[in-house]
Amino acid sequence: MALAAAHTPRAARTSIPTSWSAQGILALAATLICAMPAAAVLVLAATGGVTGLNIDLLGDGVLGTLGLASVGGGGAIILGASAAWLVSLCVFPGRGFFTWALVLPLAAPSFVLAYAYASMTWAGAAPIAVSGFWGAAFIYAFGLYPYVYLAARAAFMSQSSCALEAARSLGARSRDVFLRVALPLARPGIVAGGALAILEIAADYGAAQHFGITTLSTAIFRAWYAHGDAIGALQIASLLLIAALVFLVIERRARGRAAFAGGSTRWRPLPRYSLSPGVAVAATLFCATLLVLGAGLPLLWLTRLALLHADISELARPMVNSLSLAGVGAIIALALAAIIAAAARTGGALGKASLFAAGMGYAAPGAVIALGALALFGLAREAGIVGGLGAGLALTALFWVYAARFAAAGVQPIDAGLARLSKGLDASARVLGANSWRRLLRIDLPIAAPSLAAAALILFVEILKELPATLILRPFNFDTLAVQAYAYASDERLLEAAAPSLLIFIAGLAPILILSRGITRSRPGAR
Amino acid sequence: MSAVCLSSVARAYDGARALDDVSLTAPNGHVLALLGPSGSGKSTILRLIAGLEPVDSGEIHFGDALVSSRSHTMPAEARRVGFVFQDYALFPHLNAAANVAFGLDKRQRAERELEALRWLDRVGLKHRAHSFPHELSGGEQQRVALARALAPRPHALLLDEPFSGLDPVLRAELREITLGTLAETRTTTLFVTHDAEEALLVADRLAILKGGRLLQEAGPRDAYDHPNSHDVAAALGPVNVFKASVENGAVHTPFGAVRAEHLGGAASARAVVRAEALLLRPGTQARLLDVRPSGAHDLARIEAQGVIWRALIPPRSALADTVDVEIHPSGAFAFSA
Repeated sequence: MALAAAHTPRAARTSIPTSWSAQGILALAATLICAMPAAAVLVLAATGGVTGLNIDLLGDGVLGTLGLASVGGGGAIILGASAAWLVSLCVFPGRGFFTWALVLPLAAPSFVLAYAYASMTWAGAAPIAVSGFWGAAFIYAFGLYPYVYLAARAAFMSQSSCALEAARSLGARSRDVFLRVALPLARPGIVAGGALAILEIAADYGAAQHFGITTLSTAIFRAWYAHGDAIGALQIASLLLIAALVFLVIERRARGRAAFAGGSTRWRPLPRYSLSPGVAVAATLFCATLLVLGAGLPLLWLTRLALLHADISELARPMVNSLSLAGVGAIIALALAAIIAAAARTGGALGKASLFAAGMGYAAPGAVIALGALALFGLAREAGIVGGLGAGLALTALFWVYAARFAAAGVQPIDAGLARLSKGLDASARVLGANSWRRLLRIDLPIAAPSLAAAALILFVEILKELPATLILRPFNFDTLAVQAYAYASDERLLEAAAPSLLIFIAGLAPILILSRGITRSRPGAR
Repeated sequence: MSAVCLSSVARAYDGARALDDVSLTAPNGHVLALLGPSGSGKSTILRLIAGLEPVDSGEIHFGDALVSSRSHTMPAEARRVGFVFQDYALFPHLNAAANVAFGLDKRQRAERELEALRWLDRVGLKHRAHSFPHELSGGEQQRVALARALAPRPHALLLDEPFSGLDPVLRAELREITLGTLAETRTTTLFVTHDAEEALLVADRLAILKGGRLLQEAGPRDAYDHPNSHDVAAALGPVNVFKASVENGAVHTPFGAVRAEHLGGAASARAVVRAEALLLRPGTQARLLDVRPSGAHDLARIEAQGVIWRALIPPRSALADTVDVEIHPSGAFAFSA
């Protein structure tokens, strides 16, 4: 979940009882853990030289990714920004419900939506035929618009009501207020959200693979498995990584600008437009369509299929595997995120470096990070540091990839928890005679606990939903829910793919609802 | 309880002097008020005494014990000082009783709870013992913070603008409760404020600071009647200022003379006259521009020779458009400029 990636280091404050140097060492280790797989991809790809370049595969991948990013990403931006404008600034039936419900499509990874719609199309039950390039673009637009919706809604909500009221008092009609005031003010938010959606599209493997589109992500797998071309795969991965970094920078800069668009600090309920009855009904229908196509319909369809074909015995092993991978992985990623959040709060260079490294790991597609980790283990084996890639080592590599990839998603909730620990509370506990351990146990941890729990939940679900890295690194015959859904779907056994897909979808709903509520409350004076 | 004594203490942040060569004593069992505008260094003094920051030079003693010097800073958690922070800094996850009990860790649990309740009772909040900070009003939070700071029987109590967020009526009421509790417990107290009236009301001793320097330390009456500088006089109440040379042992303002024998024949001097030291009566010396009610007094603006001064006069004084002005010597001072 990329809405977690924003972060502003604030003034120094941690009372975690580590000496400065110990904290420095931890921050350095966190930076290396996050940065090394991505760095390995870049370095090894560069040493491969241009002669080995698989130009055909690379060209197809670039075209496919560019095409899906522009059509699917453009669709997500238009849908998300319109929905954000409607719920933030207009009055229509169901507005309160849609405000939080519109984020629900984020619960399902693209491959789950793809399997749902593919089986619906196959059964002739889909409202439109979802297949091929346009099918993939449809899945991205309706599955990923919430990234834009969330960022744009935050931008609309943080706008000073004064600017909008001033525009109205100067005689601007609602369309002019939108085009000339609200939209320009919200543009950084829309750009940031759009960049996140495009990052997800570039990183997606399952949906593009299922619809038979060659993208950079699927090309990595093709080079690796079909052609046995490790260097070629690394080179495609490095191109994808560079593209992802460009979008990461775009997202960060847009978000930085969005912070300054707030202006006035006076908060009143935003003035909302009452729409004429016809337009209001159209607005309700528009939001309902987004929600139904992005979440409701696939959720119902998957439930129906799963009930038709529920085979508990086949689900049990993948479920246990998924839960244990996600459980252990979340704890490791949480520790890493806590180290980074604490280091970032000190405002030092190392804190910034660890934050950037985590952002890089987060932006990089799972397949890229997995290849990087695999390459590093390969080098370690050549150097005689580790033995062959057995199950234990494979799981180690997998946990490393999860930590590097998702730590950034835990940093922001933890940082929000640390922000609640004011300097005053620490000073207060000190003058009352509490030593550093007692301050940690009695003050810091209890106050930060809800944020830590939220971060842990987010990380747990992210890992549960992860597909490409798990596919590459999992030990032999070690299926997770995502892998099982993928394997069935690859065999065109979409009926059997429904149950694991549904479980992933349902697990994904919990953190989405928590985050959505948090963001709604973040505007002072929001009702 | 013990006296708190600062000798030649200095402190800088990133090279900027926050406190420069300050020597002060808070006498045992009394209240020392620190008065000054923002940035005068008064809050820094409290943080240094609490041990939250080290001194760059100088020494701090509690009674005979050295707690801060250039080479040694006794940790805050070992000092046993009470600190009521400006925002109270109550622990949000603990109820009022648990907040008060936090500093009482050396005793049995039941005894600790009883002691916490005793302190809450003392500030009139026993019935709110199980309320969490967000359920308490601002005034109640302040009283919990006071009880929490006093419960571990500190060597000294530090109050950082403890009433600043409260409305004037509540403020006066809480001041009474706080002063009463301090007097009962005979606690050595340092009280930071930027409100002159409050400083004069609470202080046994008064220290006036500006720009990290101590301007004057004196009893409140003494500081008011005998300020050692224009800044001190102005810090304690509204004043009028007139610059002129000293002639015949006085500074001659458009409204009358201010004695300045102690300045000799200085070329340039500054007469500083408190607004309430101007007595107006019917006459022709100055023009009365306007009179407005201002609480216990009326505020009058008077003009002579193009100079406008403000005077605090008894309310509803019947005055014509022109007045004679008398400067009462108790509120008139001359300083070299």
